[in-house]
Amino acid sequence: MSDDWLTGPILEQLSSGVLVVDEEFQLVYLNTFLQRHSSVQLTEAKGKSLFKVFADLPEAWLRRKFASVLELQSPSFSSWEQRQYVIKLPHLRPVTSSSQYMAQNCTMLPLNDPSGRRHVCMLIEDATDAFVYQQHLQTTLQKLEQSNRVDGLTQALNRRYWEEQLKLEVQRAQRYQQPLSLLLFDLDKFKQLNDQYGHLGGDCVLIELTARVRGLLRDTDWFGRYGGEEFGIVLTNTALAGAMEVAERICLAVSSKAVTFNEHSIQSSISVGVAQLDAAGERAHEVLIGQADMALYNAKREGRNRVVSYSAGETEFQLKTN
Amino acid sequence: MSTVFSEEQRDCLQELINVAMGLASDKLARFLNTFVHIQVPAIELVNSAQIPAQFEAQYSSAEAALVSQGFLGNDGLRGEAIVLYQLENAHRIAALLGYDTDNASELEMLTDISSILTTTFLNGLAEQIDNSLSYSAPRVLSSRQNNMTEALIETACHWELALRVDISYQLIHHSFNCDMLLLIPGEAVLNIQQILDRIVEEY
Amino acid sequence: MALPVLICDDSLLARKQVRKSLPESFDADILTAANGVEALTILRSQEIGLVFLDLTMPELDGIGVLEAIKQDGLDCFVIVISADIQPEMQKRVTELGALAFIHKPVNPEKLVVILKHYGLI
Repeated sequence: MSDDWLTGPILEQLSSGVLVVDEEFQLVYLNTFLQRHSSVQLTEAKGKSLFKVFADLPEAWLRRKFASVLELQSPSFSSWEQRQYVIKLPHLRPVTSSSQYMAQNCTMLPLNDPSGRRHVCMLIEDATDAFVYQQHLQTTLQKLEQSNRVDGLTQALNRRYWEEQLKLEVQRAQRYQQPLSLLLFDLDKFKQLNDQYGHLGGDCVLIELTARVRGLLRDTDWFGRYGGEEFGIVLTNTALAGAMEVAERICLAVSSKAVTFNEHSIQSSISVGVAQLDAAGERAHEVLIGQADMALYNAKREGRNRVVSYSAGETEFQLKTN
Repeated sequence: MSTVFSEEQRDCLQELINVAMGLASDKLARFLNTFVHIQVPAIELVNSAQIPAQFEAQYSSAEAALVSQGFLGNDGLRGEAIVLYQLENAHRIAALLGYDTDNASELEMLTDISSILTTTFLNGLAEQIDNSLSYSAPRVLSSRQNNMTEALIETACHWELALRVDISYQLIHHSFNCDMLLLIPGEAVLNIQQILDRIVEEY
Repeated sequence: MALPVLICDDSLLARKQVRKSLPESFDADILTAANGVEALTILRSQEIGLVFLDLTMPELDGIGVLEAIKQDGLDCFVIVISADIQPEMQKRVTELGALAFIHKPVNPEKLVVILKHYGLI
């Protein structure tokens, strides 16, 4: 018994595209799904070159695919993950998808007609759902990666990521023999500020101060939250003199203007320690942090709200006290 | 269930595979219009649990890829074919095969080569045992970004037996090595043994 | 009188396939060898009219056997039966003196045509 009564209607109702071409790549068949999506009528397109009917096909690529199917009599495949679509078709999810066109998985099969003439049958599956999920996943992963790098409160880099970058920049500076400087700064009398205005007040100052500092930095500088109220800035390709200038500007930007919190005007300041990389070797970044920290300590000792650079003599002092 | 192959079954399988590989190699050469030489592969039946360890050393570098394609035929013949590559030569091979590096990604080329190798080879095998196969689309399970060994462990645990086929082929002056693995579930092994016995009896 | 025929292939199945592909009318006295070394031992110790030779074998491959036959001036017809069917390989074995090249799996009808063509049946 013939199964024509089954195959015909099913082919027409299928939610996948079915397309058949002969050895000359002339269109032999298009099912309803493809006709509707592409607004091409089989009656008009039949016998015409596939590449004329669908003008924006990737012709060279598709010819090679079809040739392999015909020559090897083996199937060939195309995945949306590598090529989003073969035929540009609109999809039926205009609102939910960021892409304009239907993502497609295609299977190209060898097919012989009753007289033995060779054809290629291309099955086109709509993979837009998978494509959309994949895009969501990627965006989520990107956000996740971002949040793994950033301090939630201040949006400065977190300590782990900032230190990684410091280490890499130190290595780079050593390799290319470029100057590199480090600023470490600390919000003055942070404890007192918290006691007076509460932790929310303290947080507010930290957020405002971070925003002001960020506005003074270059894209190539790395700004991170080192501890509670302590921050670090890696200044790439910058020698001590330049770093001092940046530090002075930052210092002024904080002290020159009060932060408004719940109708209070909070006056704050920072102390900054500055050091330029001069150590060699694998632990150079640790030495650099130690030097900037030493300068910061001196800035605090000398009365706060000021910038102090590290000078070599202090190493001995540090060695003695340790 | 015995997954041990007799001497006769093993000989029969090796011969079927040799012939299939010869057919695949010829088809590939005609298609690429260049001289492809595929050496007669060594086959080895291994417990699939051993697979990850066997390949770890060879493919543990970041420059390796793993492409998988499922196959399904009559008489309970089914499994998964895996092709493992070193990526060193991938770009040169891509150029030789006529891929524009700008519009076809490396992954696309890898799935194409894998698919051609796998389907021509398995079609040749199926033809000899009066079977025919259908295939799933090839999937890149692992490439530069992902961990090869993990992907292999994850895949191998689904199967009981693996038929390891070492293929090395040469394209013009460049040799290009890859390994093909046929991973076969226990009941399909039994079916294959019956098929082999039938062939041995026929002759 | 029966023609002494040697079937040389490392696979038992392949040897059986060749033997079974020979037409019943072909009066042959069949010997077998599982590699090139075994084949040469037989070829050097007795008269063999026709050799069915596989190419890929351990010990000594089919190319090696063809070279030895040529070098030793052994008088026998060789039909190569191989899974390696690329034109380059066909050319090579023909240059080495093989009469015909048949690809595996052996097609009995084609084999008969070749045997008839060379007057072996």
